[in-house]
Amino acid sequence: MTTHTHPTLPEFDYIQPKTLAEASQFLAQHPDEARPFLGGTDVFVRMRDGFLTPKFLVDVKNLDGTNDLRFDPQAGLTLGAAVNMNRVIASPDVQEHYPLLAEACRLVASYQLRTRATVVGNICNASPAGDTIGACLALDGVLHVHGTGGLRREPLATFFLGPGKTTLKPGDIVTAVSFPVPPKGCAGAYLKLGRNKLSDLSLVGVTVLGSPDPGLPSRFRFRIVLASVAPVPLVAAQAEAVLAERAVAPESIRQAAQLASEASTPIDDVRASARYRKLMVRNLTEMALTEVWKKLQK
Amino acid sequence: MKSIGQSLPRVDARDKVTGAALYSGDLSMPGMLHMKTLFAGRPHARVVSMDTSAAEALPGVALVLTAKDVPVNEYGLQRKDQPALCGPAALTPGPSPKEPPKNGGGRERGVAGDIVRCEGDLVAAVVAETEAIAAQARGLIRVEYEDLPAVFDPVEAMQPGAPLLHPEFGDTNVCVLDKIRKGDVEAAFARADVIVEGEYRTPFQEHAYLQPEAGIAYLDEEGRIAVQCAGQWTHADRDGIAHALGLANEQVRVIYPAIGGAFGGREDLSVQIVLALAAMRLKRPVKIVWSRQESIVGHCKRHPMTLKTKWGATKDGKLLAAETTIIADGGAYLYTSNKVLGNCTITATGPYFIPNVKEDVYGVYTNNVPSAAFRGFGAPQALFMAESQMNKLAEKLGMDPVAFRHLNALRDGDTLNVGTPAPGPVSIVQCIEAARDRFHWDERRRTKDGGIRPSSFVRGRGFAAGFKNVGFSFGYQENSWARVEIHGKTGIEQVVVWHAGAEVGQGTHTVLAQFAAETVGVPFEKVTMVTSDSATMGNPGSASASRLTFMAGNAVKGAAEAALAKWKAGERPAIAEYTYLAPKTTPFDKETGHAMPNLSYAYVAQAVELELDLETGFIKILRVVSADDVGQAINPALVEGQIEGGVVQAAGYAITENFISKNGRILTDQLSTYLIPTVLDIPDAVESVIVEVAEPNGPYGARGLGELPLLPLAPAITAAIHDATGVWFDDFPLTPERVLRGLGKI
Repeated sequence: MTTHTHPTLPEFDYIQPKTLAEASQFLAQHPDEARPFLGGTDVFVRMRDGFLTPKFLVDVKNLDGTNDLRFDPQAGLTLGAAVNMNRVIASPDVQEHYPLLAEACRLVASYQLRTRATVVGNICNASPAGDTIGACLALDGVLHVHGTGGLRREPLATFFLGPGKTTLKPGDIVTAVSFPVPPKGCAGAYLKLGRNKLSDLSLVGVTVLGSPDPGLPSRFRFRIVLASVAPVPLVAAQAEAVLAERAVAPESIRQAAQLASEASTPIDDVRASARYRKLMVRNLTEMALTEVWKKLQK
Repeated sequence: MKSIGQSLPRVDARDKVTGAALYSGDLSMPGMLHMKTLFAGRPHARVVSMDTSAAEALPGVALVLTAKDVPVNEYGLQRKDQPALCGPAALTPGPSPKEPPKNGGGRERGVAGDIVRCEGDLVAAVVAETEAIAAQARGLIRVEYEDLPAVFDPVEAMQPGAPLLHPEFGDTNVCVLDKIRKGDVEAAFARADVIVEGEYRTPFQEHAYLQPEAGIAYLDEEGRIAVQCAGQWTHADRDGIAHALGLANEQVRVIYPAIGGAFGGREDLSVQIVLALAAMRLKRPVKIVWSRQESIVGHCKRHPMTLKTKWGATKDGKLLAAETTIIADGGAYLYTSNKVLGNCTITATGPYFIPNVKEDVYGVYTNNVPSAAFRGFGAPQALFMAESQMNKLAEKLGMDPVAFRHLNALRDGDTLNVGTPAPGPVSIVQCIEAARDRFHWDERRRTKDGGIRPSSFVRGRGFAAGFKNVGFSFGYQENSWARVEIHGKTGIEQVVVWHAGAEVGQGTHTVLAQFAAETVGVPFEKVTMVTSDSATMGNPGSASASRLTFMAGNAVKGAAEAALAKWKAGERPAIAEYTYLAPKTTPFDKETGHAMPNLSYAYVAQAVELELDLETGFIKILRVVSADDVGQAINPALVEGQIEGGVVQAAGYAITENFISKNGRILTDQLSTYLIPTVLDIPDAVESVIVEVAEPNGPYGARGLGELPLLPLAPAITAAIHDATGVWFDDFPLTPERVLRGLGKI
């Protein structure tokens, strides 16, 4: 049956807890009825379309530290959960030390959406198409999670379990994502293919981060993360390994791109065929690696 | 004081910019109820039974409407072949005594009301105190269906034994057949030095207007059933609603609030009948707002077509013959397929003189969403074929495609494929020259595009032309009513224009005010428009077929002249009504197509430059030059707006708008899956060249414009891609994937 969308939102209760502990407790007590809520750019659309019918939206935007964007030359960058993407893009610290993150944010939807959308929301949504997730993975992001048992850290590398599925448990609230200081001399690129130039979800997204690493045979380390071509954001490990082992050159870049393509498991849908997506993984990975390699040689 | 030819500000601009203008969805009234509709959601089925008891029992539900509640359960603009609600009914309607013979087509019985023929057929409407209750109640309705064999491919639907959609009209799904027989194509092909054969496919297109269907119905102060809902033709909406409700036309009143775009998609009825029926039953205002998804499922689309053709020319480049078979998917109901395909038939030879022509143009019922009017009305599909043929012939002849067009372009007195010449000055040569010169075609064609970065990008240029009849015509007596009042004592203080024409965003109310100001001889600011109410105004005719400036302009001009004469004779106020009747036309001869089908045509030519990424298949349009003959630009800024909008809509049609329907179910039912161009996707530059070759019958020389800029862009784009890559694309939309497939890269 066609889902008949509702032009307005269904009713729900808006919960504004005073403390993280209160928020976690409420969420744990209403595991099937309550959802934590940040910018709402995804949850509202899905509620309008009838895919989500939470009884409670628990606003975690004003809780301890969720509004902070901090950079420390030793500790690195911490993005509070409520920091919207336009703030990330505008931050001089992000621009100087994490330009890849700013670039990824810039390709999310439209300016208007980015005044609400958050990086942590993008991560927790756990869509394989999430535009900022590749940068967060490549930059070794770590989540700060507040649960009923208190605070814990969770590396992004093991966070994603499937489309919309993560290791989060009822009561868990991601309060921030933090990144270590990036490797010296690193360079990155995010190439996104959408069917239009504004606001489409990525058909394919390729994130590449490269950095000098004297410990490797090729003397360079590359991180390659693919969007929209697997059930979870996909780290192209074999492609990364080729560029660690072999001298970086057009041939090894092409080989890595081919391996990335082979590692991808995209689906056919109304937006593109799996075949096209696989080919685009190859072409975009080659383009992104070439672009990053050029930057590294400067 | 002169108003014609001035870019005067739109009469509705301030209200629309400030938000004061109310669209259908903005309207509300005290004591208002809310309606939700239930789609069948399956392509072909018999409704065996319906249980609405749980829905009716829900507190807050005022009414559940099903087929048995509709007094005359049928509607349709050209043929009453669609039930307003599908379901078991006590009565199967027969042809109404009110119905003109053309609509009945000689049928002996009415449409079977218990058969669902497409996903978007309505089976019930629920009215409740709140929208949420109505939605909840809708979910409680139980419908038992018996699925029937369905057919989705028009070629299959033409075969004997295919599931029959409308047995009431005979034992075939073919609902339209237009034939052209001019000269002797066989003999001409035997003489031809070059022949190009082609098979083309064109896709569905969704109107994607800004404002989804919405409306409010209530009893007015005189007890009439008033419906405020966006449309394109007040009086046709009124008559269709009245027919289904079993009322006299005058017992229904249709008023247009501000309208958020139409493009042909509002020519047929959507929510009006059930809305009016609910208001009639409940005697309370009832409102509905369709979601975008409901809008896409619930209204018609542009006809997809398969066009097979063979054209021949001499080695000197003179066209000799064209033989064409076109099969159009009409979907589940006729809507305006007969009119659309008439336009398709006549434009299938392009704006060129071809002495020998044979055409067979079929419209076929299928269990897909109905196809109907969409800006261009059958001409964009026909011209995609004709212009692609022209580009391929030029290549084969070794001729420049613009010079080849120039050589074969229609001149005054040349006969069209219907065997008669186009009336009025034929201006395709002027349009071709204007587009060629503004584009600097000859220089651009020779440009070598070395050094484009990145190196996977290639560039190309393409050219195409088109023409289109102004008005429905084909034997229909075109008409439009207007009333003009001149107020004042000694001098003229105010001119009031009454006209029911639909302002769908194109600027018609502004243009009509300009006609009145010019004719009466007063400044534009002195004109007040009173618009779009079927109860207080005569029939304006439809806002479609590029006809309103022409027809309504003549009506307002006529009424203004009559009022001015009365003013000069001393009448205070001086009031005149006038109905413009356009020159008569004739329908196609059944066997040969011979006819004088139209009273006026308008012409267009376009040149395109684009860039193509060979790695991804993405196309970027860099520049479009569009030369459109509007006869006389009444308001040049509005003309440019129409040209730019038409080009953008055509670019979407050609490239991004990939409508997918599988087994009668629309898979791209949201604007996140069906992509119209965004501001970042539109061509970098659209240059409008306004050509003005006056039309003697047009008001102040005006022709028509609305559809022109959409007509030739798709074939100009495929020509540019061929220029860049050497590959012809005979189908579209040119999604990156289709492009890479065509280039053999995937």
